[in-house]
Amino acid sequence: MRSGQRGTFRERNFKYLLVGPAIFVLLLIGVFPLVYLLMVSFQGITMTETSTDFIGFANYRQLFSDARLWQALLHTVIITAIALPIELVLGLAMAQLFLDRLPGRAIFIALLVLPVVVSPIVSGATWALLFNHRFGPINQIIGWFMGRETILLWTINPNLVYPAIITAEIWQWTPFMFLLLLAALGSVDRSQIEAAAIDGAGWWRTFFRIVLPAIAPVMTVAVLIRGLDLFRLFDIVWALTQGGPGTLTETISVFTYIKGFRQFETSYTAAVALLVIVLLSTLVMYLLRRVELAR
Amino acid sequence: MADLRISALHKYYGNVHAVRGIDLEIPAGEFTVLVGPSGCGKSTLLRTIAGLEDANEGTIEIGGQVVNHLPPRERDIAMVFQNYALYPYMKVFDNIAFGLRSRHTPKNEIEPRVRRAAQMLAIDHLLDRYPRELSGGQLQRVAIGRAVVRSARLYLFDEPLSNLDAQLRDEMRGEIKRLHQELGKTMIYVTHDQVEAMTMADRIVLLRDGIIEQAGAPLELFERPATRYVAGFLGSPAMNFIDANLVTAGDTLALRLNDGAGLALPQRRTANLRTRVDRPVVLGVRPEHIGPATQGERPGLARYTAIIELLQPTGSRTYATFDLGGTRAVAELQAHDVSTINQQIELSIDMNRVVLIDPATNRVLS
Amino acid sequence: MTPLAGRHRVRLCLRLVAAVALTLIFMFPIYWLYMISFKTASEIYAFPPKWYPSSFNFDTYRVLFRDGDAATVGNSLIVAFCSTALAMFLGFICAYSLARFSTGGKHLANWIISQRMIPPIAVVFPIFLLYVWFGLVDTYVGVILLYTAFNLPYVIWMMRSYILDVPRALEESALVDGYTRWQVLWKVLLPMCRAGLAATTIFTFVFAWNDFIFALVLTRTEVATYTVQITHYFGGQSNFWAKISAMSVLGTLPIFVVTAFMQRYFVRGISLGAVKG
Repeated sequence: MRSGQRGTFRERNFKYLLVGPAIFVLLLIGVFPLVYLLMVSFQGITMTETSTDFIGFANYRQLFSDARLWQALLHTVIITAIALPIELVLGLAMAQLFLDRLPGRAIFIALLVLPVVVSPIVSGATWALLFNHRFGPINQIIGWFMGRETILLWTINPNLVYPAIITAEIWQWTPFMFLLLLAALGSVDRSQIEAAAIDGAGWWRTFFRIVLPAIAPVMTVAVLIRGLDLFRLFDIVWALTQGGPGTLTETISVFTYIKGFRQFETSYTAAVALLVIVLLSTLVMYLLRRVELAR
Repeated sequence: MADLRISALHKYYGNVHAVRGIDLEIPAGEFTVLVGPSGCGKSTLLRTIAGLEDANEGTIEIGGQVVNHLPPRERDIAMVFQNYALYPYMKVFDNIAFGLRSRHTPKNEIEPRVRRAAQMLAIDHLLDRYPRELSGGQLQRVAIGRAVVRSARLYLFDEPLSNLDAQLRDEMRGEIKRLHQELGKTMIYVTHDQVEAMTMADRIVLLRDGIIEQAGAPLELFERPATRYVAGFLGSPAMNFIDANLVTAGDTLALRLNDGAGLALPQRRTANLRTRVDRPVVLGVRPEHIGPATQGERPGLARYTAIIELLQPTGSRTYATFDLGGTRAVAELQAHDVSTINQQIELSIDMNRVVLIDPATNRVLS
Repeated sequence: MTPLAGRHRVRLCLRLVAAVALTLIFMFPIYWLYMISFKTASEIYAFPPKWYPSSFNFDTYRVLFRDGDAATVGNSLIVAFCSTALAMFLGFICAYSLARFSTGGKHLANWIISQRMIPPIAVVFPIFLLYVWFGLVDTYVGVILLYTAFNLPYVIWMMRSYILDVPRALEESALVDGYTRWQVLWKVLLPMCRAGLAATTIFTFVFAWNDFIFALVLTRTEVATYTVQITHYFGGQSNFWAKISAMSVLGTLPIFVVTAFMQRYFVRGISLGAVKG
């Protein structure tokens, strides 16, 4: 009998027993929602209509022609595309700054970690406070530079809402990048940098040719994690603008929430939710494959 | 102590046939060394004996009891691992006592047994320390102590000295051998180092690609190897292998090398070789059997004129590299026999001790 | 002082200045938030805004405690604590099976990590519908169950990586010495993973503590967590800024304290183990 496994046969039951409970719980969020969403998305349940008859692909057809949905996706992509690079570069710069010894370094880092552990909803609320047009310090500070009283409606003015959201987001998550990249920079092989110095390479060349490639795996993980989180952005937007003005700052999560829990278009929301899952999964799989290939 | 019997053992890892039909009988109380290059299956075999792996086919009997279906803790064995496997957060005393505690040995018995084991290994002054405070050699003694304290019927060692430096290894080899003499238990020892195998074993089992190449007492494998592989594996520096042709030379046979030189064989060795005349053969000669030519002919010694290419002095001996019949060979000379390279020297090869190998089967011709 | 040392001195000073400036900028919002909670109403609505309260005023806090709003922090504590304990237990044993026996091979491992990628909104919606059916909305059990499920992939992923770092020989040695696999798990492996366990526990706890969207959907009045409670104060009505701020302080202070003590476990936790800080 050829089976060629590692370990012994009597351990088989044991190992399944160990994963069993966890998988059982995971099925709750892993399989059940998908199945349920699939079912409901083919039904016609709305605020008023409670029949569970199947109506075919109607919801999906509606999905493709729903401008508000695609705009929500666009908003999400825009926010991600702007915030992520800024977080990365800023985090990298901060990491480089704190890399070598500095008096009080531990205290600085301990303080800089705090924004990450604050609840995103609190973060949003805080920035709502800061951006408040009359009582917030930001307008006050801008007023000092402008020389006159400035009343900017950060949470209402269509030109200002995106900067506001992005600022709150960057404030909260740059320290995350910073910590990750700090550890990564710290683990770069010193002897490679020293060899480059002996070879006559300047700081920038060393940085781009040796340091960056060395921390590329960590950067990739960081970008993946944050990219995904940005795609699911909800709390900060909700606290600052609730997706407004109108639907201008609706991210895909906000859109889904409103459709499902404010307008109670249950079946349509199910279709949207499925779309989001599919989109995200393909994106993740594509990226993971790219990362595997890169190795 | 107990004897060990393995019959027709096979072990697969996925598609890899790691152990391919091993039959082995080890009498009780013997020190057996499983030796071979990486990937030969020796560690797999040991782990299967321990019960950390399941055999796919075949039986393992310890003390006459078939143990295939038993988990490790029921086989009454003790094991010493390559990287010590000590618990870093426990003191040395607790590390050694760990196995006793798991079997619910009464408390008043644990302490004297631990102390006795520690004394046997000269680490009783370290019982209160933590592993991180100890050196490599001390850590290995603790690992051995943990095995010894258990009084098992079979002891397994999985390359325990690989992580130590050369000097420490020499010291620990002697310690383990002394331990075996004192305890008298059946011990199976895995290593890739042929020096360890030669110095420690009552019996060597040389493995290659999952099968036993040859098993027997160390000197038996050394002086009467069965195959080219065994001949080349044991002995340091390794045996020299030279291509040659078997030809007649007067009333005896000789080896004609590729450069035309001839080396005559002593007559008594030619008995079974007459049928192989005029066929290629591989000459196997150990460096220590090549020496400087002395005055006068001695029976069995063949002369060869060589030019030394490289010298590696070790103090008492010097290893000289030279071309022997078209192949680079090494001779072990006394330090004062030769001092410069590119110097011509007369060598004599002890043809009583060489081995002849059939190039087609790689088996040693008797 | 040699010219080289002088240059280094200057660089050090510049870096220090930059460090201080950065820290001040990043700390400012937190300072402002905390500071508001101690202001009186008139101070909050002073124009131009005042940057520090004239005295530490605890009125808002008293109101929160009197009205029972502060109890939501207690809910957060219960929910976060229970779900973290459950997720750590189930996740640890599952991670052990994955690490040592490669249970389910690559497929299971990939499926588990992919669960972390699911957007919360897509999950909470069908879960909500299911909970309505089972009467689990606004119950401790319901919320704890979902938090546990959502944290499991992270715990499993992290602990698997830590367990792989522990040499097998330690467990095998214990097996030979007489322990069962179950005993080996708790007596040998657990102590060896202490650092990893701490990092993962903190992160799992913080995630459950800070969550908003799940709590928003699945709680009403009984189990409302502090994050949901804060949003009850939105609506532009002025005196609610004080409550928002005070509630935020109550919600963030415990985490700040925990983080201060557990700082060194942090990097490993947030990088999914990609970096062994």
